[in-house]
Amino acid sequence: MSLFEGITGKSYEIRGLYVEEGITRRLQALGLNDGTIITVLNRKKDGALIIRVRGTRLAIGRHISQGIDVEERAL
Amino acid sequence: MKNRETVHVAFVGNPNCGKTTLFNAITGAKLKVANWPGVTVEKMEGEAEYEDVRMTLVDTPGIYSLTSYSIEEKVTRNCVMDDDIEVIVNVVDASSLERNLYLTLQLLELGKPVVLALNMMDVVEERGMEIDLHRLPELLGDIPVVPVSAAKRKGLDILLHAVIHHYEEDSKDEVLHYGQEIEEKIGKLSERLKTFYPTHSSIRWHAIKLLEFDEDVKSEHPIETADVFTRSYEKEIIQIKYAFIESIIKEVLFYRKKKTDRTDRTDKLLTHPVWGVPVFLCIMAFVFFLTFAIGDWLKGYFETFLEIFSGKVSDVLIHINTADWLVSLIVDGIIAGVGGILTFIPNIAILFLALAILEDSGYMSRVAYVMDGIMGKAGLSGKAFLPMILGFGCTVPAIMASRALETEKDRRRTMIITPFMSCSARLPVYVLFSGMFFGKYAHVAAFSMYAIGMVCAILVARVLHVCEKEKSGDSLLIELPEYKRPNGRTIRIYVWNKLKDYLSKAGTTIFIASILIWIVLNLGFNGMVTDPSESFGAAIGRGLEPVMRPAGLGMWQIVVSLIAGISAKEVVVSSFSVLFGVGNAQTTAGLNTVAENLKNIDPSFGPLNAYCMMLFVLLYVPCAAAMATIRKESGSTSFTVKLAIFQILFAWLMATIVFQVGSLL
Repeated sequence: MSLFEGITGKSYEIRGLYVEEGITRRLQALGLNDGTIITVLNRKKDGALIIRVRGTRLAIGRHISQGIDVEERAL
Repeated sequence: MKNRETVHVAFVGNPNCGKTTLFNAITGAKLKVANWPGVTVEKMEGEAEYEDVRMTLVDTPGIYSLTSYSIEEKVTRNCVMDDDIEVIVNVVDASSLERNLYLTLQLLELGKPVVLALNMMDVVEERGMEIDLHRLPELLGDIPVVPVSAAKRKGLDILLHAVIHHYEEDSKDEVLHYGQEIEEKIGKLSERLKTFYPTHSSIRWHAIKLLEFDEDVKSEHPIETADVFTRSYEKEIIQIKYAFIESIIKEVLFYRKKKTDRTDRTDKLLTHPVWGVPVFLCIMAFVFFLTFAIGDWLKGYFETFLEIFSGKVSDVLIHINTADWLVSLIVDGIIAGVGGILTFIPNIAILFLALAILEDSGYMSRVAYVMDGIMGKAGLSGKAFLPMILGFGCTVPAIMASRALETEKDRRRTMIITPFMSCSARLPVYVLFSGMFFGKYAHVAAFSMYAIGMVCAILVARVLHVCEKEKSGDSLLIELPEYKRPNGRTIRIYVWNKLKDYLSKAGTTIFIASILIWIVLNLGFNGMVTDPSESFGAAIGRGLEPVMRPAGLGMWQIVVSLIAGISAKEVVVSSFSVLFGVGNAQTTAGLNTVAENLKNIDPSFGPLNAYCMMLFVLLYVPCAAAMATIRKESGSTSFTVKLAIFQILFAWLMATIVFQVGSLL
């Protein structure tokens, strides 16, 4: 599933990044790599969401969240 | 000892790590250039002294990685790679140690002396966490690790002590081992780099960058690499770094007890899917109120003072027998023009105070998230909402507020559309013309200007968005920092530097502009003129009459008042009064006289012409102060000139369409 479908409060493991190269690099530098665990903290109707990753919070727009492949992980 | 004279230190760290606050705490307000906390695009330099060692400190833009994809990264990278920089102070937000260490590892690979300043330890404590300060340096190749509090100004002496005593000890550039396959390649590349660039420092770092396919390093070091590697190892290198960081975190970071995060609780309201927007609007309304209600109240005092001042100057000048033209140039031209700029000080100071508090507290990044969907449709960043709203008050602070946006493109686009938001100085023009020609519908006519301005702004943004063929505008990606109490010192230094900047740069432009406008309106072919109809302005106005006729504005007095309006929009009204021989056009009697005179000159001048006049005033170039600000903020004269031409053409086009279509009805 894509992170776009993520539900507030649940945790996910990243399986792959499928966005433009420039954005991929920025995401990787921010610590979003294959296998990284993230938690959805907040989401809006239009698909933008706030996630927690490696102890920081990131706001991510719909376009990017649709390009992040994740799998649910129980914490 | 190398150079005992001065030690050059660069401050490097992630955005929002408290780097600017720490920098300010050490250097004080004596900076060369200042900038926004978090989006420092310019270079800030300051000085410090410790144990008789002088230090020159450079603050770099906040970055997450030492790659070269963004301007901020390039600036920082060039700065730290510079041989002049002897020590790197890596400011780290201890509360998000895991992500911050990623940059640290890259800095260590440079092989230069690195001192780690561990900031925000109080947040770590508050969250019930603990960091092992003995183990952490061991894992990072024994670099000095100094806990500091930038906000409370603690640990600064220890940090400076570490800087001056360690600046000769290069860090071990092999803190992290990438595994046999990659290390072999790094080894081969390092050998080759050493042969070709024997004086190079940071050989290992360059080799790693080559493996990552770094464009800049590759083009600057065109060595043969095809036999060593043929694909980018960037992904592996990033993952190994983060895996190493995870192992560090496991060893040094402990949770004593879990506490609910204050930031998470605050975010529950401020970024709420439903309440986020209304809350933001309330905050905005409050900022608007402070900036304009309180600011205008203070501005009144400034204006009174200015009046008394210019009266006194005029008295003194006349008393010492100064030529009339010189008195007029100094009093009506320079003092009125430059003084007009000074009267904006209260508005600007209050606005920046509010903005600095919003930014420093961590709320500003949330605005981007909350407003992202709505603004994204027009291809604008969520933060662009703020300058647009402020534009209703005054374009000058609104343009300056565009600094809060992340990218140059976003900033410029916001600068393009912000002047369309009808500022308060345009209101007197609407009042005058709608009062003269629209009777009981005057309010509707005036209000429609605000609506048209907004529609034009969104339309232009949308067209630009489509023209530039951008992919979906919702590629929002921004860190939401921890909420914190705004730091008084950071805010004070910020507001003061902004004001200084505004006065020096916008002030000089205004000084020249006011002289030019004075010349145009007071000089004619026969020298100094008392009757404006003989001035250069009138000549220009007559020349432009045919151009303005299709827009229903073919009257030289109108053209002159529009030109005069460039100095400040409300001047359109006062120059109208002068040109039509009325003391004050804003009184009922004055209104009637102006309307009568207009009719005498051109009997066909009716509501449609008046409406076109209002429309033109709404859309054409903003006042000289606003343009000077655009010039300063964009840093580009050509952008400012192009924008001004576009605005004039756009205003003319819209007025012409309305007039031509209206005439048919």
